[in-house]
Amino acid sequence: MNRGEWILISRRAQVSKSTRPRLCPIERVNQICRCSFFLFDSFSFAEAAAMFHNSSQRKYWIFKSEDEVAHMRRKANQKFRNKIQESGKSAVSDSMFLERHEEDVLFRHYERRLLDFCNAFKPAMPKSVVGTALMYFRRFYLNNSVMEHHPRTIMLTCAYLSCKVDEFNVSSTQFGGNLLHETPAGQERVLEQILEYELLLIQQLNFHLVVHNPYRPMEGLLIDLKTRYPTLENPESLRKSADDFLTQAAMTDAGLLFPPSQIALAAILNSALRASLSMESYLTECLGLKEDKDSISKMYDSMRRMKTLLKKYELPKADEVNIYKPRLERIHAQFASSSNKRKRGYEDDSHVAKEPRLVEEEWTDEDLM
Amino acid sequence: MDDQGCPRCKTTKYRNPSLKLMVNVCGHTLCENCVEMLFVRGSGNCVQCDTPLRKSNFRVQLFEDPTVDKEVEIRKKVLKIYNKRDFDFSSLREYNDYLEQVEDIVYNLTNNLDVENTKLKMEQYQREHRDLIQKNKATLTREQEELEELLLLEQQGNEQRRLDVLQDEQRQLQAKRKNKQALLDELSQLPATILLAQHKVRAAQLETQIEQQKQTVKPTNLFSTGIHMRQTVSLVAVPKVEDVLFHYKPLHVETYGPPVPELEQLSRVGYLNHVRAAMPQDTAGGYTSALACHRAIQDAFSGLFPLKG
Repeated sequence: MNRGEWILISRRAQVSKSTRPRLCPIERVNQICRCSFFLFDSFSFAEAAAMFHNSSQRKYWIFKSEDEVAHMRRKANQKFRNKIQESGKSAVSDSMFLERHEEDVLFRHYERRLLDFCNAFKPAMPKSVVGTALMYFRRFYLNNSVMEHHPRTIMLTCAYLSCKVDEFNVSSTQFGGNLLHETPAGQERVLEQILEYELLLIQQLNFHLVVHNPYRPMEGLLIDLKTRYPTLENPESLRKSADDFLTQAAMTDAGLLFPPSQIALAAILNSALRASLSMESYLTECLGLKEDKDSISKMYDSMRRMKTLLKKYELPKADEVNIYKPRLERIHAQFASSSNKRKRGYEDDSHVAKEPRLVEEEWTDEDLM
Repeated sequence: MDDQGCPRCKTTKYRNPSLKLMVNVCGHTLCENCVEMLFVRGSGNCVQCDTPLRKSNFRVQLFEDPTVDKEVEIRKKVLKIYNKRDFDFSSLREYNDYLEQVEDIVYNLTNNLDVENTKLKMEQYQREHRDLIQKNKATLTREQEELEELLLLEQQGNEQRRLDVLQDEQRQLQAKRKNKQALLDELSQLPATILLAQHKVRAAQLETQIEQQKQTVKPTNLFSTGIHMRQTVSLVAVPKVEDVLFHYKPLHVETYGPPVPELEQLSRVGYLNHVRAAMPQDTAGGYTSALACHRAIQDAFSGLFPLKG
């Protein structure tokens, strides 16, 4: 970080009303100054300000079951197929399109790449920014098909938007500088594409940009355990494996099905189980659920579901990816030419139009990393 | 400001912005000089419409459009005859009809439509309502006189106040001068330092006196609007609106999770021992470690319980 940014951040630290509790030395320095908490500040009596319980995430982006989520993805796939069929392009055979499971493989592949991109990001991206970017990516492809908008641009746009929303101040040049295998001119091109897709992304997220990640709830639960649950001697020991659980959960649909606090609780209970520590009484005593057997059973049920989700996740196999990717490229090459112009949105007026960009070579995946 | 010129000498208008335009009954304008020149004998014909005019009928133009001036003159004359007031009529409808009548007449005369008939109508009306016209004229003049009296009184009051202020200032100046003179006179008698000290004291006293005079408000028994101080002004009774009294209900927010301890209780229960303490730099902005702790707990508990049913 240059000096100017350091001054900005240190000044922000003075004014910040809330920072992450420095519980672990691994926490990076700039995290104490993260101002993302401003967005959700709620210290007055009105705890209703910007917490999960009255957020758009709970109202619109938490679904009841894995089936519902799968159904939405099927619908998106079908919608794209219908669109192409209706536009009446000849030489379209059904086999050209990608099936659901093929789309899934590609989705997971690009999600991995997004995660790697964020982890390799300089300056170091805070966890919540990564979580938000992954969530955007996931939400976008809930209602859209990978065949319609290519994941490699969308993933960079998600990262870019997430930096902005979470107040992780990165200029676009800096962002472009992280695209390591591009020439500066290539980085410019990519950035322009990102900027073009940004509005589309925001629109497809239905303008619900605030994402609640499970990282802070996990911190809160650890604090609570340390304060009110002396039975558990060293909650810090649970931290590492809970962290891993959360990272894995971010690659599943857990964020779309469960509130972040439940995910965090599942992470902690899971790591306690692994260490053979019993935490039964925490739920009954400290969370006040002694009488509420129904809720307890539901909570255990959710945790089981989450564990299943994590177990079901499999890394995308390289050979499968190598089969499906060229097909995706072909689909894009054939059908995306019509949508290219549409991307330009507000520049539709002729007197503002830039030169047509269909002639440029699309940057390939290898250019990314 | 002057986009129209005298139709006769044209050029003179632009060169001489102080020149006034005069309008006559036919609605055409002439600058002062031209009026002088053309109507040196007292009467003549209008330059544009050739109607016979008299010099005395020329009035200084008030409006940019001479037709407006013409209409204003005609209206004044018509209203001298048609001078009924709103309480002369039994219903609003009748009053409006009457007003419309008047407007029609003015319009006709201004635009030279049907002048004969209109004039006949006016004369007929005048003959029929001669008494009424007289009576209304009388009431009008009486009201105007009253208004003028009030204005006069106000002006006199203002004048009086101004004179008082002037006199006060004069007196103060004189007092100061006397003080200085006294100093000079005494210089011959007493040593200088004592004199200066005395003088300063006296000057200070004078100043405070002047200040006090300024502060004292002259007792009056009239508000600035003219209402007497102790007079009870009867207002129209304001209807009392009885409405449901506001009843405070504390805000209840559903968090779908266990209850979060209050910010102030956190340190007591012992949460703060497990949170990084605030550095001196942080506290400068008002940050305390309780805030971060409270925030984390809130997030941890929000949405923790599964939905019922």
